[in-house]
Amino acid sequence: MAVLDRTRPPDSGVVVRDLTLAYGSTVVQHELSFHVRPASIFVIMGVSGCGKSTLLRHMIDLEQAAQGDITFDGQRLWTENVAERRALQRRIGVLFQSTALWSSMTVGENVGLPLQLHTRLSAAEIRDQVAFKLALVGLAGQESRMPSELSGGMQKRAGLARAIALDPDYLFLDEPSAGLDPITSQRLDSLIMNLRDALQLSVIAVTHELPSIFTIADDSIYLDNESRRAIAHGDPRALAADAEHARVRAFLNRQSVDASTRAEGDGPESPARSEVL
Amino acid sequence: MPQSASHSQLYRIESRNGAAALVLGGDWGGASRLPTSQRLVAELVAARGDSEAPITIEGHDLESAHPRVAALVYAVSQGLRSREIAVAFTGLPASVSSLVALARPPAADAAPGSRAHWLTRLGAVGRNRMEAFTRAAEMVGNAFVATPRLSVGKAQARWVDFMALLRETGASSLPVVTVVNLLIGAVLGFVGAVQLAAFGAGLYLADLVGIAVAREMAAIMTAFIMAGRIGATFAAHLATMEANEEIDALRMIGVSPFEFLVLPRLTALTLMMPLLFLYAAALGIGGGMIVADLVLDTSPASFLGRLQDAVAARHFVIGFVKAVCFGILIALASCYLGMRAGRNAAEVGRAATRTVVVSIIGIIVIDAIFALCTNALGV
Repeated sequence: MAVLDRTRPPDSGVVVRDLTLAYGSTVVQHELSFHVRPASIFVIMGVSGCGKSTLLRHMIDLEQAAQGDITFDGQRLWTENVAERRALQRRIGVLFQSTALWSSMTVGENVGLPLQLHTRLSAAEIRDQVAFKLALVGLAGQESRMPSELSGGMQKRAGLARAIALDPDYLFLDEPSAGLDPITSQRLDSLIMNLRDALQLSVIAVTHELPSIFTIADDSIYLDNESRRAIAHGDPRALAADAEHARVRAFLNRQSVDASTRAEGDGPESPARSEVL
Repeated sequence: MPQSASHSQLYRIESRNGAAALVLGGDWGGASRLPTSQRLVAELVAARGDSEAPITIEGHDLESAHPRVAALVYAVSQGLRSREIAVAFTGLPASVSSLVALARPPAADAAPGSRAHWLTRLGAVGRNRMEAFTRAAEMVGNAFVATPRLSVGKAQARWVDFMALLRETGASSLPVVTVVNLLIGAVLGFVGAVQLAAFGAGLYLADLVGIAVAREMAAIMTAFIMAGRIGATFAAHLATMEANEEIDALRMIGVSPFEFLVLPRLTALTLMMPLLFLYAAALGIGGGMIVADLVLDTSPASFLGRLQDAVAARHFVIGFVKAVCFGILIALASCYLGMRAGRNAAEVGRAATRTVVVSIIGIIVIDAIFALCTNALGV
């Protein structure tokens, strides 16, 4: 488990360098480069099919990139040292799009399993930790319920409790508010921001839900599915007003590309690499 | 490697002017085992005595704000509040305070309800069983109603699905049916040959193998194989469709799930089971014939000649009818249990397992009923 009062090295946070994502000969995204600052919320956005979730799966080591590198606080993700790689994985928490709660276990067992496997805490302390993590996400007292007995929003929160069970430094969220009503979605956004502040988490969220993007994002990147490159980077509120590319403005203002182009004048359509780093 | 701190460095309980305090200190990251929250609550309550003053949790001496501190502070404060004892915090690191503040205690209605009266629970079990029986009966009734519709081409089923099911239940099952029945016939032949040879009655091995295979073993063994191989597949597939709301989607476009999903499976298995039985019976007898040749030096011609005299057609008819019944049973059980599964991954596995168990028990029960009936009828 990490210590909450974290001292950050100079290259702290997540650094992605020249990452090319591909399935066989099909390139999903070319040469992505960006930096996720510590204790911030970074949103990966783009239209469906642009490779957002693929990028996330690479960042959590479920896929190996065709080219490029990712470092967490200066430590390489794809190191040959298996022990280092596993230690780094334990510093990463993930909320999957479908929540991926283990359906044969209770909510409490779902949250407690990572603690049983990766810590030497006593059973009583694991019980306390589980109760605390569930209380953090507003599910106090729900330990004995099965995932199937929970509503969609509660399942998301239970998934979040499992993701923060090991007090990770980095929290990855894949479409956290997908399928939720606006009120539940707004509550989940507040919860994510509260957890970032309280646990000093670096949160990387994949989403195309505009209200969530504008609420939670400290920084963002836009993946373009036509040029297959990142064509915008920055605060999404600023990008909505003055992004260089019409497609980014259209996405963030819920307009068609034609309408956005007419309103703002033609933006350069040639793909450009994100200027980060 | 940080040196493990002792409990006395990590916490102490003080009593000040009748008010108890939990004083936390040291580095909790290095501690291997911490006191449980229940123990701390008990010690604090004992130290407090009859005092009405709030219990204080102090963190001035903490060297780091390890997450374990926040979890323990939350657990202790909840334990005290559940006993209606007020808690005050002082000197806790900001990160711990904000985490404890963020944690919301259980709502009053989140506590598990009291266990229902045993009569209520018994009634609920009875109602569930009755509902399950009604649905099973409904499926059997649907089979009677929908089968004529299929035979005249009016059922809402796809021909391509039906052909795929025929291939899956029939041709794809041949290898395993071949191996099992050939070996069962050979085993029967070997056991029979040893016993009959002791009485000089080796010639009658054809009677033993022929009647046992045609009347019992071929149908039963093939049914067991189909329950494990096809029944489990049907149940898992339908349970997955149920979990993915694919069956609801069929209903919403006006398609009867029974006609679209169950009827093709029921028909395919009902058609294929008797054919597989005939194939299995031939192989089983073949296995016995090989053993007779090898162990008793009975030529295949002599074996088949004796078989013709000893095994009447009625034995094959009984096995054939049983195979049809087994096919209907496996298809209906697998479809029923698959479509009744809950909407999660674990239920898919459970549906498959239940199908195999129910089918095997059903096969034995049906076989016993046949034995009683044929005995009563003298066939």
